[in-house]
Parts: sequence; C-alpha cells; structure tokens
Amino acid sequence: MAGPSAADVRSILSLGPSTPSQTQTPLTRKPSMRKPEGMTRELYALLGPSTPTLATQFAKPRLKQKPKLGSNGVDKDAQEAVAGPSSSGGGRVRWEWREFKNGARTDGLKLKHWVNAATDPNAEYPPAKYNIQPNVYVYSLDEYTRWLSVDKEWTKEETDYLFELVREYDGRFYVVGDRYEFPNGPQRSLEDLKDRYYSVCRKLIRNRPWAGDEASKNQLLSSFQFDKEREVTRKKYVASLESRTPEQIAEEEALYIELKRLEQTERRFKKDRDELLRTLYGVESGLPDIISDEDGLNPSAGGGLSISVSGSGLSLDTKKRKKNGGDLETPMSASSASASVIQLGPPGQKKQQPAKNAAFDALQCIVRSEVPANSNKSSHIPVFFRTLKTPIPRSAVASKVAQLMGELQICHTRLVMPTRENNAKLESLLEAASSLVETKKLVDKVELDIRVARERLGMVSENGGESGGWEESNVAGRSASAGAEGSGAGGAMDVDEDAEGEQEEGVDASGRGQSVASVRSAGRKKQQARRSMSISSVDTAATGGPHKKRKR
Amino acid sequence: MADRVRMRGVTIHRPIIYGNTAVVLTPEEKALLPPNKQEHTHRWTVAVRSAASVPDSDIVGGADDLSYFIKRVSFKLHDTYQNPNRNVDKPPFEVSETGWGEFEVTIRISFITEAGEKTVSVFHHLKLHPWSLLVNPGELADPNPEAAAKLGPVHSWQYDEIVFNDPFQSFYNILIAHPPTPLPKHKRRPVPFHTSNPGSLEASKGGTPEFTLEMEKEEGERLEAAKRKVVAEQEKWRGILIEKEKELEKLQKMLLTEQA
Repeated sequence: MAGPSAADVRSILSLGPSTPSQTQTPLTRKPSMRKPEGMTRELYALLGPSTPTLATQFAKPRLKQKPKLGSNGVDKDAQEAVAGPSSSGGGRVRWEWREFKNGARTDGLKLKHWVNAATDPNAEYPPAKYNIQPNVYVYSLDEYTRWLSVDKEWTKEETDYLFELVREYDGRFYVVGDRYEFPNGPQRSLEDLKDRYYSVCRKLIRNRPWAGDEASKNQLLSSFQFDKEREVTRKKYVASLESRTPEQIAEEEALYIELKRLEQTERRFKKDRDELLRTLYGVESGLPDIISDEDGLNPSAGGGLSISVSGSGLSLDTKKRKKNGGDLETPMSASSASASVIQLGPPGQKKQQPAKNAAFDALQCIVRSEVPANSNKSSHIPVFFRTLKTPIPRSAVASKVAQLMGELQICHTRLVMPTRENNAKLESLLEAASSLVETKKLVDKVELDIRVARERLGMVSENGGESGGWEESNVAGRSASAGAEGSGAGGAMDVDEDAEGEQEEGVDASGRGQSVASVRSAGRKKQQARRSMSISSVDTAATGGPHKKRKR
Repeated sequence: MADRVRMRGVTIHRPIIYGNTAVVLTPEEKALLPPNKQEHTHRWTVAVRSAASVPDSDIVGGADDLSYFIKRVSFKLHDTYQNPNRNVDKPPFEVSETGWGEFEVTIRISFITEAGEKTVSVFHHLKLHPWSLLVNPGELADPNPEAAAKLGPVHSWQYDEIVFNDPFQSFYNILIAHPPTPLPKHKRRPVPFHTSNPGSLEASKGGTPEFTLEMEKEEGERLEAAKRKVVAEQEKWRGILIEKEKELEKLQKMLLTEQA
C-alpha cells in the first residue's frame, strides 16, 4: 500500500493547503526544460540542475494510479463543513481520531488511532485476525499419570512449566529454549525440550479418543514427529560444515572433483572392457547389451565444467549404441530383450497380485491376518455369529455408557448390520463413551477435593496453623479408590498399572499440603517397595531413574 | 490328510439373514384351519437365508442356496406346537406355521462335515404385529386384524455373518466355489426395519424389504456421528477437568502457605 502523502497528512491534521516551501530555491526551476510527465515534483527537484537522461525523459513510468485519499485544496473551515461521512465523497475524506477495540486484546486496553471517518466504527480491528492462538495441548492429572509419567526424566511440574512456556511463546522453541529456567531442574537443551513436548503431544493424540478416521490421526501424529537423535546429529553436522576453513573447503572440492574423475575413468575402463569382451565372445560373454550408466553420468554442479562436458559426450555415446541395438536384430539384443522382459515380469505380477486378491477377498468375504509364529492348533476359534462379537462396554461404566448411548439414540446391544467395520466403529464409540464417563467421574472427584480443600482452608484460617491430618488421609484414600475404579481406556490390561499410577497421584495430592518433593519421593518409595522383589537396588527414590519400567 | 490342513490366518464369513415374515389370515383361510387352531390369526414363515435378495422377488434374501455349507437348520418353536423341533435338512431352510402369538424361536445351524465346526444357535423373536405399534404404542393398543392386514406383511429380519476362522483347506475350497451374491450398493426396495434404527420405519414401508450395502454405510455413519459428538463432549469435559485441577492445585498451594 502506498504510504500517506504530504497531502494526506495535511488533511488529517486539518491544515490548510501547503504553501510553496521557502527552501525551494529558484535555481531548480531555472532550467527551461519542463518537468517530464509522470515524474513527481519532489523527485524532479532532487535531480537538481543536471539534465535528466534521455531514458528518464522518454520512458514514461507506469505507476499505479494514485488513490484519491483527499484533496489538498480544502481549508479548515470547509472541511468542518463536511461533517457527516456521507458527504465526504467526491475526493474529500474526513479523518477521525477514534478509539478502537482490539479483539486480540484481553486486558481491555483502549487505544486510539486515525481512521477514515467513512469506515464503520464497530468494525473489527483488521490486524486482530493475525493473533492466532496456537493449539497447545493440555492434559489432566489423570492423563499425565496414565500416559505421560513414563519418562522419569521429567516431573509433572517441569512438564507443566514447559507447556506453559510453549503456550506463552506460541510454540517458538528458540524463545522457549532461551527462557527455559526451571528451578532446581536439570539443564535442558533445546532438543530435550522439543523431544518432551512432541512426545507428550503424540501420546495424547494416540491415547485420546479420536473422532475422525485413522488416516487423519496418523497425519496429525506425523506432524508431531520429532527425532531427537537426528536433530542433534543434524545440528552437529551443520556446525561442522560451518566451521570449515577456506582451505578445507577448497581441499574438499578438489577431492570431490578428483573422485568424480576417478569414477568416470573407471566406468570408461569397464565399458571398454565390456565392449571388447562382447566383440570377442558375443553372447557367451554373458553381458547385458545395454549398460544403464546414465545415473552415474550426471555430474553434479560441483563436479566442474570439464567433467560435465565429457559426461554428456559419454551419454551421447551410449544413446548411439542403444539405437544400434534397436536397429540390428542381433541375437545378443534379442536375448537381452527377453532377459529384460523376464526381469520386468515379476515386479509387475507382484503388483497385480494383491489388487486381484483384494477384490477376490472382498467378494469371498475373506479377511487375512498375520499368523503368529507360535500358533498351535488348540487356539482355534470356532465358528461364530458376528452378532455375538458385538462389543460391550466395560462393566465398571456400563450403566453410564448405556445411558449415554440412549441419549445419542444408538442401540449398542444390537446393530442393524453387524459387519466387521461397524462392529469396530461401535467399539471405538463405546471406548470414547467410557472415557467420557470416566472424565466426568474425575471431574466429580476433583470438585469434591476442591470442596474439601476450601473447607480446610477455612478451617486452617480459623484454627491457625492446625494441620488437617484427618482430611489428608481422607483425600488420599478417596483418590486412591477412585483410581482403582476408574480404569484406563486401554482395556483390562491396564487396570493394574492405572491403579498404581493413581495411587501415586493420590499420595501426591494429599501430601502437597506439606512438601511436594518429600511426598513424591514417598510415593515412589511405595512403588519401589512393591517392586523390590524383582529389583535388587532400592535406594532413595527421589532421583527417579530407570528403576521403574512401564511399557506400553 | 492334506484336506484337513487349516488355512492359518484366514477368516472367511458368509452373510446371512434370519427372521420371519407374517401375514394376517383372511377369513377364508381361517375357515380352513383345523378346529384346534381356530384361534390362530397369522401365518408366518421363519427362515435362514442368504442376505442378498433375488431381484424383483417378494422374498427377503435368499439369492444363494446356503446348503453348500449348512447341513441342517433346526427351528425350536413354542412348546404348544406339535413337535416343536423342526429340522430342515435341505433348502429352503424355513418353517411356515400359523399362530396367534409372538415367541422366541431358537435357530440352530449345523454345518457340513467338511467344516468341522460345531452347531451354532441364535434366537429370533417371532414378529407378528406391525412395527408401527412398537414405535408409537399409542396408535393401537390392541392390534385389530383388519388394520394390521392393511399394513401388509410384517418383516423382521436380522442381518448376520457366520464367521469361520482358519477353515480347513477342503472347506475353504467349498466356500470359495460359492461366492455370496454381493448386496446391492443402492436402495432399490424398502429398508428392512430394525429396532436399533427406529428412524427407518418410514423407509421400511411399501413392499418387500431388501438388505443393501447402503444400510451398512448408513449405520456406520450414524455410529461415527455419535462418536464425534462423544469426542466433542469429551474435549469439553477435559477442559473443565483441567480447569478444576488447576483450581485445586491453587487451593492446595494456599493451604501450604497457610500452614507454613
């Protein structure tokens, strides 16, 4: 957009028309030559007394038409006379010093700016649309303990801190890495932070119920892919590239050219030898007629000019030979042709086979699955009706899920078309439903805890520093029991694990009244005690470490 | 024996339907009934058939002859019927009777010996009275036969699939020699009514119903739509949970400072 001209500024400030400036010396006007068309007065003035070149004189610059923002011939009184925005047409624009609302602001600060009086006063502040909130994932305590506490290098507090920073700096990791300063935390590199952030996001995506299909889920997952090792290696490599001395670069280039030259000579040698063998022994040489060496003969830009010239010469040579092979129906070429057909055969067939199989399988209602290597005959699943495999919600949440299904008008006990796909869809629906029910349960639990904490707060402020020991144990007990009944969405296998995680959380939550650090270690100790049968080294658990192996 | 080798990793199914059709007896038909069946009001047929229908036939399903893998279908009727166990050893696998009441029919399907599989059984609720009574019960408390007769035959069919895992080679060969007629892609005739989809009542009126792939797709879409709703709700509640957790944490921090 063109910037405001002097005339616009004048009209904004409600000043009169510009008077001829005093600095304009008569010297500039002196040359008898007229100002060329299309050249601004100011630019012309800058040229000074020197004669403009012919080029500027004849090349009429094609500029965009100047926007009619206002006329400079309006004096103050006249402008005030045109009060309403409706009458400001005809090249006369009224500007207003107006307060505006910035939708991107949350603090309600009011600022003012100059606007064209004709614009709608209630219009959205146009740049507000650029204030895009990045979608930073958040997780609940339950989700954290269930899926995210696997990485013992990170505590929940530090992960919270990281996510808070990522949110605050809109996912700009360089800023996050710069500002990252977790009290009493270990030193984290930028890659560590990225790795943690992306791995947490991936886990959340993978474990949360997904509304769309698998493909879109995988697409989203891949957008959160981060390979820490690779990133570190890449950075190291870039750093080493950057730190080369000019001599080293020169040497490298020389070596590269040398290498290319050697490769080419070798290839030429080989070709010559093959040629010789072919002329001497013919088919018996067992050599294919055409050597495909184009791939090697395309020297890269760094290879130097001379090589590329010779390379193209060689490739021309091979082309000629190909032509010869095509024209003369020698037994050699025939055999090679058949050989190539044979060579081409299998891959083509392989490609066709699965497609044909898929159509066949669809027609015959066949589903093939990988056979586990250690399958034995006793594991045979007898014939069944598909309706018998209709998924059922887990008994812990069954009634609530049934209620939810009723609200959604889905009959989950019997499907109209109980095909494999529909059964799978129903299953994922039930899974999502039970995780919703569990989330609601958790909300209830946390609400209760909030109420308890509020009451305690009231009690503490009343009774001074008296500690609510009874309530602490109460909270712990409740959250532990809640953890036991709210098993994970992953199925029956996870129940034990979840209960454990929740227990830790329960202790954690109850003890936060005293000291966060000490309680966490207590929680870990408890777990370790349980595992101490298999793990010999039980030391202080505050360090976390690789004692606990949870695999998913 | 080479034939008794199981095809590992292969699951093959055959789509079937089971259910019944019922029509109200006309006064003339009623007059022909033997004295001990005078109170019978309906003639019904309970059957096991292949899912696809023969085009332009007034029979639901039954495009394929299922006897290539089914040896016998036995229908266990209500005990008040004479010899309630009806074994049908050749197609069509169906039993026609007259009656006055609805009851559960036990359908037992046995397979040919090559299958090496046991008998499977399934229940079907014999449906005599129009579906509209079920959906809007206020319409007719006591089904009056004239009105019911006007509504035409009552159809109650359940689609199902008989799934064989790791079939024997010989049985597999028999199965693939008889590919099932695929279900039509699009709706050509009324939709078979099902209690799981009460919305299909209107679409089920006006003639002999037919199972289509469209029904499967439609149901899949209904399930997916429901899931999207559930997930949206879940997102909302997760947000609430996280908010609440933050509040709780704040409160606990306050407690900590109070105690200190």
